[in-house]
Order: sequence, then C-alpha cells, then structure tokens
Amino acid sequence: MARRTEGSVDRMTVPVSAASSPAAMQTASGSTAPSSPPLRPTTTAEVREIVGDAIANKTPVRIVGRGTWLNAGRPVEATRQVSLDALTGIVDYTPGDLTLTARAGTTLAEIARATAEHGQWLALAPWGGDAGSLGATAATATAGPMSGALGTPRDMVIGIEAVTGSGQVVRGGGRVVKNVAGFDLTRLMVGAWGTLGILTEVSVRLRGLPEQEATLALPLPNAPAALADVVARLRSAPIAPLAIEMVSATLAARLGLGQQPVVIARLAGNADAVSGQRVALGVIGDVMEVPDEVWTTVRTADPVEATVVRFSSTVARFPELWLAAERLATAGDGHVHATVLRSSARVVLPHNEDAPTDAALDLLRGASRDTRIFERLPRALWPVLAPTRAADRLSQGVRSAFDAHRLLNRGILGETHA
Amino acid sequence: MTHAADLADRITEIVGPRGVLRRPGELVVYRSDGLPGYSKQPRLAVFPRTRDELVAVVRLLAEQSVPFVPRGAGTGLSGGALADDVVLVGLNRLTRILSIDPVERLAVVEPGVVNVALTRAATPYGLHYAPDPSSQAACTIGGNVAENAGGPHCLKYGVTLNHVRAVTAILPDGEIVRLGSAEGEVDGYDLLGAFIGSEGCFGIALDVTVRLSPNPQAIRTLLADFTSVDAAARATSEIIASGIVPAALEMMDGATIRAVEASIYAAGYPVDAEAILLIELDGLEAGLEADVARIERMCAAAGARSVRIARDESERARLWQGRKKAFGAMGRVSSHLVVQDAVIPRTRLPDVLAAIREIAERQRITVCNVFHAGDGNLHPNIGYDANNPDEQARVHAAMREIMSACVAAGGTITGEHGVGLDKLDYMSLIFSEDSLAAMCRLREVFDPDHRANPGKVVPVHSCREWHGAPKAAWTA
Repeated sequence: MARRTEGSVDRMTVPVSAASSPAAMQTASGSTAPSSPPLRPTTTAEVREIVGDAIANKTPVRIVGRGTWLNAGRPVEATRQVSLDALTGIVDYTPGDLTLTARAGTTLAEIARATAEHGQWLALAPWGGDAGSLGATAATATAGPMSGALGTPRDMVIGIEAVTGSGQVVRGGGRVVKNVAGFDLTRLMVGAWGTLGILTEVSVRLRGLPEQEATLALPLPNAPAALADVVARLRSAPIAPLAIEMVSATLAARLGLGQQPVVIARLAGNADAVSGQRVALGVIGDVMEVPDEVWTTVRTADPVEATVVRFSSTVARFPELWLAAERLATAGDGHVHATVLRSSARVVLPHNEDAPTDAALDLLRGASRDTRIFERLPRALWPVLAPTRAADRLSQGVRSAFDAHRLLNRGILGETHA
Repeated sequence: MTHAADLADRITEIVGPRGVLRRPGELVVYRSDGLPGYSKQPRLAVFPRTRDELVAVVRLLAEQSVPFVPRGAGTGLSGGALADDVVLVGLNRLTRILSIDPVERLAVVEPGVVNVALTRAATPYGLHYAPDPSSQAACTIGGNVAENAGGPHCLKYGVTLNHVRAVTAILPDGEIVRLGSAEGEVDGYDLLGAFIGSEGCFGIALDVTVRLSPNPQAIRTLLADFTSVDAAARATSEIIASGIVPAALEMMDGATIRAVEASIYAAGYPVDAEAILLIELDGLEAGLEADVARIERMCAAAGARSVRIARDESERARLWQGRKKAFGAMGRVSSHLVVQDAVIPRTRLPDVLAAIREIAERQRITVCNVFHAGDGNLHPNIGYDANNPDEQARVHAAMREIMSACVAAGGTITGEHGVGLDKLDYMSLIFSEDSLAAMCRLREVFDPDHRANPGKVVPVHSCREWHGAPKAAWTA
C-alpha cells in the first residue's frame, strides 16, 4: 500500500546521555544504549526520579505497564522505556468496604485472585485478558463486554496517584466510593494514555460476585429488519444482564457456537433472578446454554498482530452499524463483536503485509457518522487513519499543564502527526 | 476600570430591565446559598432567559474582565454560589427541556431545568433521571453538573458524572466548547469528567445531555428499626459486604427521627428508635423477594426490632418524604443548621459515628445524623443559634474535629456538596500542596484569570504561579 511509505514514527532507537539518578542507575544498570533494558522502578519515589531525569535531559520516555499491549503500534517517540512491572502489589483492601488500592503494575489477575477470596471482583473484565496491569487499564480506559451494564474505568476508578510530566506526585480522588473534593484529576488521568502523568497507584470500587451466573446464546438473523427486531427485544426484555455481546459467525465458530452470528447474554443474580431471566430470553428465540468461559475467549480473541477499531453509534443506528461492521470484518478476514448496551461494535482484523485491504481501509476511513476509535493499527497506518486525539485548545492546555515538555508517551495521542 | 452602572446598563441592553438586579436590597437573597453562615455581596445579578442572552452576557463580562459566579437554584450546601463584588449569573430562567429521546434514552436540557422536572417529563416514557439530591424539587441540572451532585439512589445508579454524556459549555473567555459525546465514547482527555464537579470554576453549561434510566420493574422499600446507632451501622456494613447493591440505603438517627415526626413531614417512623435504616431494593421482579428476605435476616441479626415493608406506593412515598425533608424538619429544632458532608470507608461507620457522638458531647452540641449509609456518605447536622458566639465557636470546633475524624478513618471531606468556601480549609487535610497546585493548573486551562467563581475549591495560596483573585476594579 502506497501510504505505508510515510514511514514509521517510532523512534525508540535514539540514544540519550547517561541517566544520572541513583534510581535510574539501579534499575537500568546505568545503560542507556538503544538495547538497554527498560527502567523498572519499584516505588513512586523512583518513578519521580526517572521523570526528573527525563526533564533534566529533555528525553522523552515511553510508559509500559506489563507490556502486553505494545503491539497496539501506537506511535511513541521515546529514548527510554519505563516499565511498571516491578511497581506491584495491593496497597489496601478491606473487603467490607468493597474498594481496593493497588500499585499500577499489579496485574488484573492478581486483583481477581485476591478479591475472589472474599466473594468480590473488579467487574471490568477488559479486552485483552487479565495479564495486563491495573495502571494500563486505567490509563487507556479499557473496558469490555460488561461496560454497557456496569460501566468503564471512568466509572470504577475512585482515586489515583501519578507522577506528572513536571515530576510532581499528585493524587486525585481517594479510597471512598463517593467524592467531590477538588477538581477531578482522576477523571483526567483515566484514559489519558499516560500523557499527563505516570500512574503509580489506582483505587477502584469492587462488587460482590453474583450468587449465580448463566450464559445463554441466541442465533442472530441476517435480515436487517429481523436483526433490528431482536436487538430491540433484547433491550426491552425483563432482564438485567451483565453483558449482551453480539459475535460474528467467525467468532461464534471459535466459541463453538455454530457457524452463524449469535448473541450471548451473561445473566447474574440469585437463583430466582437467573431463572427468571432465562425464561425472559427464551421468549425472544431459541436459547442455548453455553459455558461461562466463552467470555474469556471473547476477551482474548484478538490475534497478536491485529487492527482493532471500535465504532460507537446510537441505539437507532446500531443494527445498521453491526451489518456494516460484519461486512468489514468479512472483507478483512477478521471478526467483529458488539456490545449491545453501548451500541458499539469492535472490528478485529488480523494484519499481514496485504491486510487490511484498500477496500477495508476505505471502510475504516469511511463516511460513517459513527464515532471511530482506533485501538490498534499497523504502525504505519496511525498517521494515515487515526485522528489526533487532543488537538483542541483545552486538551493542549491540559497537556501543557501536566507535561509541559511532552516527555510522557510523546506521540501516543497522534500529536506528532497532527 | 469597570463602572458598575455602565456595566449594568450594557447588561440590561442584553437581557432587558427585568433580567437585572442592581440595588443592594434586591440582591439580599443572592448573598448566600443553602448553607447559613456565609454572606457575600454581589454587585449585580443577571438572569438571562435564552442561550443567546447568556452567551452575550458571558462575552461582555470577558471583554470587561469582570469576575462572575454562575448560580442555579442556590440550594447548594457549601457556600459555592456566592462571592463579593461579582456579577452573579442566575441560570434558573433557562428552563427548557430541549429534547427527550426515549429510544436513545437521552435528554438534552438547559442548565436551569429543575432536577425533578426532568424526571417528570421522562415519566410518560417509563424513564427517569437517576441522580436524586434531597433538594431535587428545587435544584437544577446545571447546578447538579457543577457540584457532581449525588442523592440516595446514587448508591446503585451512580452520581451525576455517571449520567451526563455531553455538555456544551461557554468558557469564561466566551469560547463555546463541546465536551463529551451523546454516543458516550470519546477518544482523548475526559474533559467532560473534569468539567463535572468543577463548581462553576470552569465555565457555564449551555446545555447538558443526560442519560435517562428505565424505571425498575419492581421496588421494595424497607424500614428497619434499631435501638442503637451502632446496631444500624453494623447492619449497613453487613448488607454492603454481602454484595447485594440496594438502590438506596439511608440512615437516620433518633434525634432526626423525632424532628421529622414532629413536623408536617411525619412519615410514621418509630419515635422511640435510636436509628432507622431506609433500604430500597429494585430491579427485576424475579429474585427480588429473595434479596428482601436476606436483607431482613441481616437486619434482624444486627439487632433490628422490626423490619417493615412499604405496602404500596403511597406508603413508600411517605417514607421517602420524611427522609428527603429531614433537613427542613430540623428547622424546628434550632434557628440555624449546619449540614455537613463527608465520606468514610463503609466498615468504619460504627466507630466514626461513635467518635461523632463523643465530639458532640464534649462540645455540648446536638448532632443529628441523616445520611447515605450505603455509600458511607455522612451528613452530621448541627443545629445552633448563630446569635450565640460561644455556641457558634463550639460548633465550629466540632465540625473541624468531625472532619478530622473522617479523614483519619480514610475518608474524604465532601461526597456530594462540594468544596465551595466551606471546605476550603479542609482541602489540605487530604491533598498535598503538589496535588492542589495541579488542580489549580487544571483550573487555569479553563479559566486562566480565575474569573469564574473566584476563590473556590482550591485555596488561593496553593496556586503558586498566580497572584490573588481578580478584584474587579469597580467604580461607583
């Protein structure tokens, strides 16, 4: 594809002068050669020293959580990596409060383990599985199939600690579930992709694990009118599901659910609630009981190298969006799944040298009125497809207020190719 | 130099003579909000009737570098919507509901729409606006956005932040910006999240797009009656830890119960109880009875004398009326009332309530507790006589001690009322100077001159690179 010739904007290879701080020396053996290992701070104070060095040397850094998403290909210009995989551990967890505070590098798996012991969970289950870190999940505001019912990190993160690009340790929010003290640094940092500060600690609200769960699948019709009818009936049915996710035929096959598109619903509650909802779904179509594990598969179905684009729409346009997304997925040999309660569809296309095709690209770029959010793209496509996310005056002002020298994840919001 | 009379004349040209108040006597009501104890004198008050008038007023104030305070219904409880020598911009005439879309479950409203009026308008579609502050019969959506308001049902459904999809705002310099999106997904900084709860310091909402929630299929409202506050607090902790999320879980202590029962809002609460819990469960009919039975058992195990379930909608409404009008009922007890607001981790309820009792006894004051127990959001209310300086001093000391106890328990200084003027001094109890300075820098992105609601939220001394609130250079 001709547009690839625009070249990579990733300049992770530029060497810098030697790191001077004890923390940097200690965590990275003083080496700053391109092949040098990432800095691996173990405390907030060490993160602060690293940022202090970056400021002193004017050297941009790339922030890495557990490194599970780096293949997102987002263009970042940096001379060093800061990996938070050693900044781990649960700092505070009192089960009766249903809140938990952990250091940023703590994996979602560790949080799931600790909370499950007390019959609780962080009810987020974001795309990508549980190997990722709490910090990266908050920084990227990544959600999953349950976001339509239970919310996103924006709704679940109740407090943060971060080291800003000016080297200050700041806190927003707290460890309680309701809090309006001060201007909301928490909301600002969640979803900022690390460009305002390196998250060092995150507090979240938890929920009690449901007494019972059941996952049911329903076949989805292809005809637009019939599809719209099923979606409308799902939305108005007397159910309170944790998730309703539509999956394309290709993904359904991987889930062992046949060869046609299906919708899977995750029901939860006490025994009466689950059986009542099961009956209510049965009124809509031929339901099939499926193992709860399909949710894990859906969350982790993305190939290692993939183009992932999330479209969000209105309720009225959603069936139309689904059909367009299915066409796009088919054209690119990929799959699509859609979160009914958010009217959003996530298209996943495996990419190799030939894909996405120009036709798929045209669709991605398309004239659709729906919001497009690019999660992952081949490196060279970022400048071609993805809009700059923070070009407006207020966003620029916020960036300058927290990271005046643009040292943190420079370029990740598309600003270098604005 | 701003000549007050000239400015008033120019504003009158925009909004007409009935949209401006300029005589000190006319401005008396605008010197304070719902919290007694603060009184600030605005220069002028202006009440635009349309968006265009509002935009023109804000741009005129920008051109003249005049500080202003946006104000909804003035029901706030933090001394937020008031300041000396400002132009007060009243938004309570911008009351149009611009659209209700029952398919998308979205409404677009002007900032002066009253909270309950929105729910009333959504009722024919089987929808409602979930955040329900106790002042919902008077408070406005614009004010709710400014304060990130909560309410009893926020325990299950979330606060204002969780229900606002987008805001069109006019910044203090007159620029109009769109924050968030009706579809709900935005790529980039959550500027909407920053705007919500910014207490009028970041600008004024011209319109607000909110989510409407479907009415639940079934509702059960329980009244559990305890002979000690401690037992009710333990029941609350048990219920929260069980994982059941009630729609609301409210506590009232004996003093509050008796004030309510002596008032026109009498709800049939047991007057000999030392605490009651008002617990509402809602959702699907299927499974609800099983949860109700579990809650009843937990209350009984914690020592409840009885658990009564509202038989019908009118009994439910009566139980809620007593709760929502409790602050009003306390007016019978004393001439002045401080409504406090703090949040603690929910396991700490029993010991913090005990600490508050100890502080009240030592300071010889009366504290009535009526609050969102399920969230750990305390509202210790202190009745007093403001004309008695000794009592006032003890009230002041007690409030500080209560705040310190909440912070020491791992809590925060405000859960839904905002910082305003009232909590300014407490900000440094929970935030470092660096955090406060960061908040100040955030404010300056939206309002570099601190002209919008000057002097609120972040103590001035924390704003390092900024020197003092703008004093409009008024000339008579």
